[in-house]
Amino acid sequence: MVRAQISMVMVLDKCIGCHTCSITCKHVWTNREGQEYAWWNNVETRPGVGYPNRWEDQEKYGGGWVADNGKLKLRMEVMKKMDPPKMEDYYIPFDYDYDKLFDENLQQEQPSANPVNMITGERMDVKWGPNWDDDLAGGDIYARMDPNWRVLEKEITLNFKDVFMFYLPRICNHCLNPSCLYACPRKSIYKREEDGVVLIDQNRCRGYRLCVTACPYKKVYYNWKTGKSEKCILCYPRLETGQATVCTVSCVGKVRYMGVVLYDETRIEEVANVPDDKLVEFQRSLILDPFDPQVIREAREAGIPENYIKAAQKSPVYYMFKKWELALPLHPEYRTLPMVFYVPPLNPVITALDRRGKYMAEYKNILPTIDELRVPIRYLASLFSAGNEEEVRKSLKKLLAIREYFRLIEVEGLSRMEASKVLAEHGLSMEDADLMYKWLALGRERWTIPTAQKVKVGRMSHMKRGRR
Amino acid sequence: MRRETRIAAIIGILLIFVASALAVMGIVPVTAQTNAYTAKYVQGTIPLDPTAELWQQADKGNAVLVAQLLTYPQRLDTQPRQVSYAAVSNGTHFAIYIEWSDETKDVPPVGSLDQFPDAVAVQFPVLAGEQPYVCMGMPDNPVNIVLWRSNGTVENLVAGSGYGTKGQQEQEARGLQKTPTSPIVKLPPEEQVWTASASYSDGKWRVVLARPTGGVGNFTPSLDPGSEVSIAFALWDGSKYERAGSKVTSGWMTLKLEAPAGPTEAQTVTATETQAAGTVTETVTQTTTVTETVAAATGSVKAAIVGFLAALVVAIIMLALLYRKGALKGV
Repeated sequence: MVRAQISMVMVLDKCIGCHTCSITCKHVWTNREGQEYAWWNNVETRPGVGYPNRWEDQEKYGGGWVADNGKLKLRMEVMKKMDPPKMEDYYIPFDYDYDKLFDENLQQEQPSANPVNMITGERMDVKWGPNWDDDLAGGDIYARMDPNWRVLEKEITLNFKDVFMFYLPRICNHCLNPSCLYACPRKSIYKREEDGVVLIDQNRCRGYRLCVTACPYKKVYYNWKTGKSEKCILCYPRLETGQATVCTVSCVGKVRYMGVVLYDETRIEEVANVPDDKLVEFQRSLILDPFDPQVIREAREAGIPENYIKAAQKSPVYYMFKKWELALPLHPEYRTLPMVFYVPPLNPVITALDRRGKYMAEYKNILPTIDELRVPIRYLASLFSAGNEEEVRKSLKKLLAIREYFRLIEVEGLSRMEASKVLAEHGLSMEDADLMYKWLALGRERWTIPTAQKVKVGRMSHMKRGRR
Repeated sequence: MRRETRIAAIIGILLIFVASALAVMGIVPVTAQTNAYTAKYVQGTIPLDPTAELWQQADKGNAVLVAQLLTYPQRLDTQPRQVSYAAVSNGTHFAIYIEWSDETKDVPPVGSLDQFPDAVAVQFPVLAGEQPYVCMGMPDNPVNIVLWRSNGTVENLVAGSGYGTKGQQEQEARGLQKTPTSPIVKLPPEEQVWTASASYSDGKWRVVLARPTGGVGNFTPSLDPGSEVSIAFALWDGSKYERAGSKVTSGWMTLKLEAPAGPTEAQTVTATETQAAGTVTETVTQTTTVTETVAAATGSVKAAIVGFLAALVVAIIMLALLYRKGALKGV
């Protein structure tokens, strides 16, 4: 059955780590008691530990699914792990006693605001915070603490010349196979039929926090004040009125792209069960071509409104994840089928320029160049393709091809037709190149959000079985 | 004789042995607990303080609670636990005292994300004279539950879709748009009739839960003197991350509410509410009296004997039936 999902792509090369997304999200949704420590949107620096500290270490946190002889089981159940993370795993939320700046008696020294614990109100020493490692990530201490570092340990030295870093913004992935949903014994969590947003019904939630443990991305946050758990709601009140999420709109680097994808709901369990190295390929195969007349017909039969189908045809997510194979899911090996995708960073693009202002590498050298990029492919594969380096290479090669194409036109003076040879080699057309230029370089029309329609779409069939 | 019949006979006999063995160990299958407790009718004020003489001197009932194993999430350890309880009523109020061992006093501090409270729940049928499905009732035969948690909350709840009722669960999975009925619902503020007071000492929780007698709303039974209701308990140990279905539960037991001896006089006394609901008081050195310990011990021995006898009777009946069918000739 065809189903629609509003989904996101983040292009990591463009992220400048300014945290505007986190701050706007905080101010809109979590600027209140009980959620002080919670960042529905956070930006971490890689290689680094992330937030909460080393969240990718599932031996510690017990999130996601494990495939056990063709059967998916919650890792927390296999591990018999019942405890959620501690406040210290996130950080002790702090603010500053700014009032002091105004109330202090006249004296010789400048008044200073001191950090205070936001929960107890007491003075505290700030020792850790979200993205504490920030620009220290990639350095000797924090890079080694990155759970993905294990794939590199032997071959990468932390020599200054080899140091690499990039930013990784994270929100809830609004997964197709959400482990939080399955972990909830009260069925408080549901995936909206019309747009796939995963939500926690605050009337049903009783704060058991099994979802917090079950989410491998640690994107469900317990509110100690209300005694209920909360998470990113993909700004659904904005989506319903045709606006992109606040993190998308406020993004300074124009990193974020949003749109509708149509997918085949019936194959979710099958796809979540394939071997690690096939996960990206199979997840891509779930996404349907919104121009295929049969897909359109089936979408209409499934009750998907016309404006959703139209939006799917203009969706940057469809192009970047499915058609161009540029974007990749974050840690697909957790088998939740995450629906926020990342275009991996080239960082820096390609070799140096020679004296004549030409790249020293020819486009035929793109292949070897890929493996000489500063960010090790193996590290990216550990993050975005469950270790399948070919998927990362495929994406980076296309990013390079598109740069090469425009360089050939602008610098070498070739005609579009002549230059398009480099595109064809990577299965891209001139139209694709123009669209990529519009989206990736100019950053125009980065989202197409259909307004909500009063249409009855059927219940999620794969959710029907519920727990056990 | 047919092979299947013989296998059935052997399995039957094995089951009987297992049940008997469990009974001897004090683990009685949940639905087989039949001990009755009589809640005395008292004159005057019922003390809310769990360390008060009335509670400490009262005859106690005992219940064995076993790990909930029907549904997710389950407990990490499967050891049974025990509560002893006492109940009284006067003309206006009903109160129940519950005492159980718990090595750690777990009261999650403000701002804690990973700590869980110790908790106890007492379950009654909503409909008089009924004995609904013991695991949180059924849609047409719900249960009323009072849940006390060590962080100071006491809630009056109604549950009507026990884990045995699959159809209901399917209904619930439909999501918000369908206005779901929860497996357990907190009753509206005007039906939050329970007051609680608790004390922790010597590795034991002692909790008194009290409420006015007489029905409130549609889901809270009246618990009037002279009536008889079924009662069941559940316990959670916060230090073991127990919450939700990760708990121990008892089977239904009978609670007889003694009627006043003479003609009923209008009672003017009310339960003293010196300790407001929600406060957890620490009482120093409250030692269990010798007689009480003996009473508790004899209570569990009694339960074991009753269980064993019940198992024996079942065994004899089954053997007789099998014998009549001729299934035993070949064994």
